[in-house]
Amino acid sequence: MNPIPLHHYLVVGAILFALGAIGFLARRNLIVMFLSAEMMLQGVAVNLVAFARYRGNLQGQAFTLFILTVAACEAAIALALILMLFRRRGSLDVSLWQELREPGQEPTVDEEPLPPPPKEEPLPELTPSGFEPPAREETSHV
Amino acid sequence: MSNVGSYLWLIPALPLLAAARIAFLGPRGLRPSSDWPCVAAIGVSCLLSFWVLFAVGGLPPMGEGDGHMKPEQEIVAAHPWVHVGNMDLGFTLRADGLTAIMLVTVTFVGFFIAVYSIGYMRDDPGYPRFFAEVSLFIAAMTLLVLADNFLVLYAGWEGVGLCSYLLIGFWFQKPSAADAARKAFLVTRLGDMGLLLGIILLWVKSGSLDYDRVFEAMKAPGMDSYYVAAACLLLLCGAVGKSAQFPLHVWLPDAMEGPSPVSALIHAATMVTAGVYLVARCTPLFVLVPGVQLVVALIGCFTALLGALIALTQNDLKRVLAYSTISQLGYMFLGLGSGAVVAGIFHLFTHAFFKALLFLAAGSVMHAMGGVIDLRRFSGLRKLMPWTGATFLMGALALSGFPGFSGFWSKDEIMAGTLERSEAPGPYAAWYLLLFVVALVTAGLTAFYTFRAYLLTFEGPEKVPEEAGHHAHESPRVMTVPLVVLAAGAVLVGFMEPLTHVFSDLLRQHTAGISELSPQRPDYTVMAVTTLFALAGIAGAVYVYRLRVGLADRLARAAPALYQLSLNKFGFDEMYQTFVVKPLDGFAEFCRVFDLYVLDKIVDIVGMIPRLFGALFRPVQNGLVQFYALAMILGLTVFLLALVSKLNP
Repeated sequence: MNPIPLHHYLVVGAILFALGAIGFLARRNLIVMFLSAEMMLQGVAVNLVAFARYRGNLQGQAFTLFILTVAACEAAIALALILMLFRRRGSLDVSLWQELREPGQEPTVDEEPLPPPPKEEPLPELTPSGFEPPAREETSHV
Repeated sequence: MSNVGSYLWLIPALPLLAAARIAFLGPRGLRPSSDWPCVAAIGVSCLLSFWVLFAVGGLPPMGEGDGHMKPEQEIVAAHPWVHVGNMDLGFTLRADGLTAIMLVTVTFVGFFIAVYSIGYMRDDPGYPRFFAEVSLFIAAMTLLVLADNFLVLYAGWEGVGLCSYLLIGFWFQKPSAADAARKAFLVTRLGDMGLLLGIILLWVKSGSLDYDRVFEAMKAPGMDSYYVAAACLLLLCGAVGKSAQFPLHVWLPDAMEGPSPVSALIHAATMVTAGVYLVARCTPLFVLVPGVQLVVALIGCFTALLGALIALTQNDLKRVLAYSTISQLGYMFLGLGSGAVVAGIFHLFTHAFFKALLFLAAGSVMHAMGGVIDLRRFSGLRKLMPWTGATFLMGALALSGFPGFSGFWSKDEIMAGTLERSEAPGPYAAWYLLLFVVALVTAGLTAFYTFRAYLLTFEGPEKVPEEAGHHAHESPRVMTVPLVVLAAGAVLVGFMEPLTHVFSDLLRQHTAGISELSPQRPDYTVMAVTTLFALAGIAGAVYVYRLRVGLADRLARAAPALYQLSLNKFGFDEMYQTFVVKPLDGFAEFCRVFDLYVLDKIVDIVGMIPRLFGALFRPVQNGLVQFYALAMILGLTVFLLALVSKLNP
């Protein structure tokens, strides 16, 4: 069997990392930013697994398991935080949260307003057909 | 007797313990009986002091016939204290003749003043505080005279200064008392600074602080006499401050704001004589520079005259006595400056008795008159207060130098010493003759103002101010007994030196090879002349204030300028106010403005520099998460590029 050489894995990891980084920098939706950060993390995890296989030991894999565990915890916390932030401002835009700047520093304001959110396509409505199933009168007793 | 040295430390330690005991227990448990630890401690110290005196002088304690004991001359109790490098400084106590005399004076007079205070301070809310401070004072004063090196002396010196401050400001609720305390402290501090500098100079030049080694080193032929003179002048500066000599005499009259026993103890009998003691102790230095000796004599003589002139017109009984103290201290300095150390110390000794007596009697008057001490408001108190009047008369006679009384003998010795110095071959002989004449005139003035005070207070028609109320009667026994004891002292101690030469004997070791000038037998011519002046003064006072009532006012009106000059104390307070206090105030104001507008600005500029740097980088902290992330990634990129270029050059 012709093993896939190491650098292939590395390239995949790097692509994942770069995509995540670009997503983190370019997007302003908190959830998407969080997902991008996760993607960067996975890129790193791929690297670790690849090196583990290349070296023939298990350290990288063990490390990856830890990373996954930590990522799961982090996800729980991050999503909870995002939920809280959303409740306070009613939006997921990260630029609404600039309080941790130097005192006396003007807040950064967008030069051009955001494009209006895309209009939601109404879900196709299907004409009801068939019968409405009758409500069960008897409940089964086990 | 030989083991008295091992008990030497008890003399200052006992009053110190008493002070601590009263200070900690007095306000609560001990309150009305906080007098006895003080009195007991001073009493025991007094007995120990007499023991030291007998041991040092080799006098038979009680009727041992002609069996003079072998004098020990000097008792030393050394305790190692500081040992740093090649400096070896002991907490050494040393008792020789001079110390023994001072110890006996301080503790004996102090004991009776403490007893008197039991009656005088009875109803004062600060009763325990008073006795604690008096005990502390006695501890500091005995330490001062027991010291064997300049550092221990300085410790005692500052200790008595502190107690003086505390006791002058004893009634600190009175603004005048608080001001007087501050004034006394600040003015004496000027002198203390000189003393400290003098001690440092002596240490630098001789490498030691022990008296003997310092004196040896300064006497050595290689020593530049310029340094000796400078050290002597600096020590004299300290003595002038402490002993209220011109030009630092201004604090003593104000110090009368304190309770009368304090005036008697600290500002008449003991603390103010510390300066005299210092100069006497350093006689081996002063004799090396006759010029400085002349300065001592000049300051003393001028102060004596000045004090007497001011005392002529003061209307406050205690102030009259205060200026008289200044004047008498001037006599002591005159004696020391003339080389008559024995006479100076003898006068110190007698003065302690009769001046303490006068102050206590004045306090007794004040006690009876409900706090009034103005000579114009009372008169003819002799009938009301027979004991006080009689003892005051004894003190007044002693102070005026009436023949037979103690002041007569000691003042006469100083006169004789000055005259002898002017006849002896030596520099400045003419000056000493002038000083002798001035001192004679001062003796006449002394007699005049003393009897003016006595006659105005105790003779004439009976007049009592209304503040006196039902107090206007003789003081209780606990106050009159010390008066009587001190009056007996004021009469009798004067015979000690002329009859037995006990002072010369005690001080012989101290003055060995230095001063052969102290007269060994009374000089009858001088005695007659001094007596004449004293009697003239007394007669003058009787004539002006007793026989021709109203003459005093007419005299004052005849020479208003002179009268005002004396009444206003020659304007020294105003002069210092204008020439010292005001310029210093101005300088302080200048410093304030300089600090506010120059120094503060510089400090502000120093603070601005980091702030400007901070302003450069502040926009970076804009609170945008993605900006931070970008910065991190850029930083990481730069780091990686640098790493790569390092690995692949």
